[in-house]
Amino acid sequence: MEESDSGFKYLIGRNAGKSAVISAFIATHVATMAGLWFDGARLPKFDFNNLNGYLVLGLGYGFANPAINFAIGGIIHYTSGIIWGVIFALIFHPAIGRFVKPLRALTPINNYVKGVIWGVVLWIISSAFWMPLLIGPLLGPFLTAPPPSGLGAPCGVGPFLSCFAFYGIQANLTNLLWHTIYGVNLGLLFSPTLVSGSRSTWRSSAGVGVR
Amino acid sequence: METKAPLVAAGVLLVGLVLLALGAVIEPPRPQISQNGESLIALGLTFIIFGVGFFLAWANPTQ
Repeated sequence: MEESDSGFKYLIGRNAGKSAVISAFIATHVATMAGLWFDGARLPKFDFNNLNGYLVLGLGYGFANPAINFAIGGIIHYTSGIIWGVIFALIFHPAIGRFVKPLRALTPINNYVKGVIWGVVLWIISSAFWMPLLIGPLLGPFLTAPPPSGLGAPCGVGPFLSCFAFYGIQANLTNLLWHTIYGVNLGLLFSPTLVSGSRSTWRSSAGVGVR
Repeated sequence: METKAPLVAAGVLLVGLVLLALGAVIEPPRPQISQNGESLIALGLTFIIFGVGFFLAWANPTQ
């Protein structure tokens, strides 16, 4: 626990920006590793590193160079995870505290609930836009094409991730699980609380802006 | 609200455990997959993680 001179204390770091970056990195890593392990729990494997790699490098290059695809995609994926975490910490976290009265007080439980809500928001963005609009057109033809040129799956990427290759709605629910893991870790780790005796409010002194 | 929240989280945790167990029971052996089984496993794990996370936040010594 580190205290800053702004009237707030953080589990990690001395200011909101540093705490957000480190918390988001940890949350991204935990969720990413969990996604790679989902197969062990009989769930669709979520490999966002490779999916991001295919997006920027193309399927042909990605299939031919899997290690490079994984590494480049991983850098992009982790960067995205950290940026979403910073947006949460510096914009969403103070804003939702202003609009939703029960979440205004800076308690660990409120901070945690905000993280879970942020995870659900990202799940909706991922399922409604990222997966069907970006991954669908890219991977869909390969997934549905008959072998040997494709996998012969009944589905590419359905609307709101209602299906993915051989998987049905469980793909969407597993995406919810992935983003819940991210949101839970982010909410637990980015947890600003008031230093006792401080009169500061989260909105006025630690809102939008990295100090 | 403050006293009821842990009870609600415990309920969510229990629901998660039940869904996970149910999903594990109806999930067929590999390589077959069951949409219902995997959906229940995913939902069950989601509820469990939410419940466990709540108790970790609730037990935070900085509160």
